[in-house]
Amino acid sequence: MPKTLHRLVYYSKNAIDLPKDGLEAEVRQILTAARHNNPALGVTGALMFNQGCFAQVLEGPGEGVTRTFERIQRDPRHRDVMLMAFDRVEERGFATWSMAFVGASAEGRARYGGIAAESGFDPSRLTGSRVFQLLRDLVVEEEDQPCVGA
Amino acid sequence: MSQQSLTRKNGPDGGASDRAARVLSAVVEGLSQGILVLDRCLRVVRCNASFRALVGLSASESLVGRYAPRLLAERAKGGCPLARGVRAHLREGSGTATLSIDDGRMIAFAVRRIAGANWIVVLDDITAASRSEAFAHRLARHDPLTDLPNRRHFLESLSRAVGQGPVALLCLDLDRFKPVNDTLGHPIGDALLRVVAERLCGAVRKGDTVARLGGDEFAVLLEGLDVAGATDGLARRLVDLIGRTYIVDGHMINIGVSVGIALAPNDAADPDTLLKHADLALYRAKGQGRGTFRFFEPGMDAALQARRRMETELRQALGQRAFELHYQAQQDLASGRINGFEALLRWRHPERGLVPPVEFIPLAEETGLIVQIGEWVLRTACKEAMRWPDDVSIAVNLSVAQFKSPRLVAVVAAALKTTGLAPRRLELEITESLLMQNDADHVGVLRALHDLGVRIAMDDFGTGYSSLSTLHSFPFDKIKIDRSFVDGLKRDPRSAAVVHAVAALGGCLGIATTAEGVETDEQLQDLIAKGCTEVQGYLIGRPLPAEEAIRLLDPIRSPTAARTQEH
Ligand SMILES: Cc1cc2nc3c(=O)[nH]c(=O)nc-3n(C[C@H](O)[C@H](O)[C@H](O)COP(=O)(O)O)c2cc1C
Repeated sequence: MPKTLHRLVYYSKNAIDLPKDGLEAEVRQILTAARHNNPALGVTGALMFNQGCFAQVLEGPGEGVTRTFERIQRDPRHRDVMLMAFDRVEERGFATWSMAFVGASAEGRARYGGIAAESGFDPSRLTGSRVFQLLRDLVVEEEDQPCVGA
Repeated sequence: MSQQSLTRKNGPDGGASDRAARVLSAVVEGLSQGILVLDRCLRVVRCNASFRALVGLSASESLVGRYAPRLLAERAKGGCPLARGVRAHLREGSGTATLSIDDGRMIAFAVRRIAGANWIVVLDDITAASRSEAFAHRLARHDPLTDLPNRRHFLESLSRAVGQGPVALLCLDLDRFKPVNDTLGHPIGDALLRVVAERLCGAVRKGDTVARLGGDEFAVLLEGLDVAGATDGLARRLVDLIGRTYIVDGHMINIGVSVGIALAPNDAADPDTLLKHADLALYRAKGQGRGTFRFFEPGMDAALQARRRMETELRQALGQRAFELHYQAQQDLASGRINGFEALLRWRHPERGLVPPVEFIPLAEETGLIVQIGEWVLRTACKEAMRWPDDVSIAVNLSVAQFKSPRLVAVVAAALKTTGLAPRRLELEITESLLMQNDADHVGVLRALHDLGVRIAMDDFGTGYSSLSTLHSFPFDKIKIDRSFVDGLKRDPRSAAVVHAVAALGGCLGIATTAEGVETDEQLQDLIAKGCTEVQGYLIGRPLPAEEAIRLLDPIRSPTAARTQEH
């Protein structure tokens, strides 16, 4: 398994019950942890936080993805984790990102990117591959922006 | 110039570190523990003599650069069970385990990440140590799979804690674990139990105890003054946490957990009663749809006692012939004749009188007693039908639980054979829920029953979820329209529409349609107009004991026959 590339997509509901500032600090802390831990396991990916939902793509060796996901599963900061996809893939979609971020600031563009139109901001109504694609589009778009959450 | 002289020229430092490296290398090589060092891609960097000896690799073979899982798989195939164990644990990443080998050896296994992305695997033959008393003591008190305290150890902790202050005891039982073991195999089931144990340990506070009581049962012990307040939150968290998806060896697995909680000293002051009460609460949580938690309540004990008593009585009832069948007439609308009866089970309880089926069938299903009761019903009903004219049939209800018995088809065949009843006179009624559970298997049994020549009726039609599609899954001989639609005929246009549609559908498919629960003449006329072919209900006749039912078939004395003849 270690040599084969896997991609995992899930979404979950935010369970951080804090005002805006505290919430942003928690999300920043999540990203810091991700960027600190993921490289050692060969994991890359993207995280979106929007409208009370997280959506995340994790990609890398099966073992690394599994272990990272298991750690995330235990995190009380979110709940109702819905695993949408766990598949072998040929290549990474976020090769240069230990964890790219599409945040609330991207809400307008997320809307524009079609998430709102397609699901009323409800990722549960999208498929795993669609969420992956949307996140990819948004991240690529943000890569050109001067101010990215990285 | 040789390598060595070059290094020497690098100065005293280079020489010293080179020497140190060689000494270290010799030490590693000479260690009694087996050492395997792997790079981030699990390729061999270093493998000492003890490791080679333990897994049966020859000294001459060059191992550096080889992919360890494949190497171990080859050795496992070559007959080395230790290699198989090591390979399995390697896949799970960091951790420790004790592997007991068939030949009686005990090997401690540890895998850890070192120096960046490298892995080190250490094997230690602890066979001798394991025979020591201290080790035996630990082994007797710990579950080897999860390394959690075992039942015995836990009961000791519980006894101690109960004497010292407030305690919350949580008994946990995994939901849907057995299918995981059955479909994915024990190694995956075991790996899953290990992750469950980790999740549990990660969720409790420091100082709380997590134990594995056996199988898929775990327990958590909370101590301290604030337990009552903390327990609710923890139980909620555990149900959520354990219910989250697992990925084990590439498989996505979903299980859940039910939790029963008892508090000391409130619910019980001694450990045995406390455990019993937590179990009662667990039992209740399981009964309430699983994936939930319940605190013990005093009523639970009484309810369980009552249930146990009823179970005993049910078992006795079979032997004491305390069951009876009553028969409810069905009328063919085209001819006005009674063309069949539905057999309905009654239990004549020594104290409570006649007990209706709703009060004991669920328990009979749960305990499996339904299989024996069902056999009795079939035989008795077929025997009774032999006393009726040839063109009067007998309908018998089959419950989903009866389909779980592999003998159902044989039992039906035997009932027909011993009584001599013509198969086409027997009608077996099933409900939609049967087809919604485990289609392929159940449909197969239905076909086998159909092949015996008996007819199959869909009972309570319209109360399930996917009515029309279930009709599609099997060539039913009859549809019985649920009484709720007949009841709503007058008030509710939707009920009327459903009755109309089903009757029409039956007409098209050539299936008889029986309306149940017909109570008024107005309903009867309406059902005739809508195209139903048969009716059943108080208007035609209540369920009657055998001797009274047979009288309905006597054209002179039967009030129904007299009335319909007037039509
Ligand atoms: C929505 C969400 C996404 C997360 N993604 C990651 C991740 O990709 N990698 C990671 O290591 N931790 C991630 N975490 C955090 C982990 O749950 C956990 O807190 C963290 O790995 C602990 O790391 P530390 O031990 O280095 O502090 C995520 C948490 C949440 C709630």
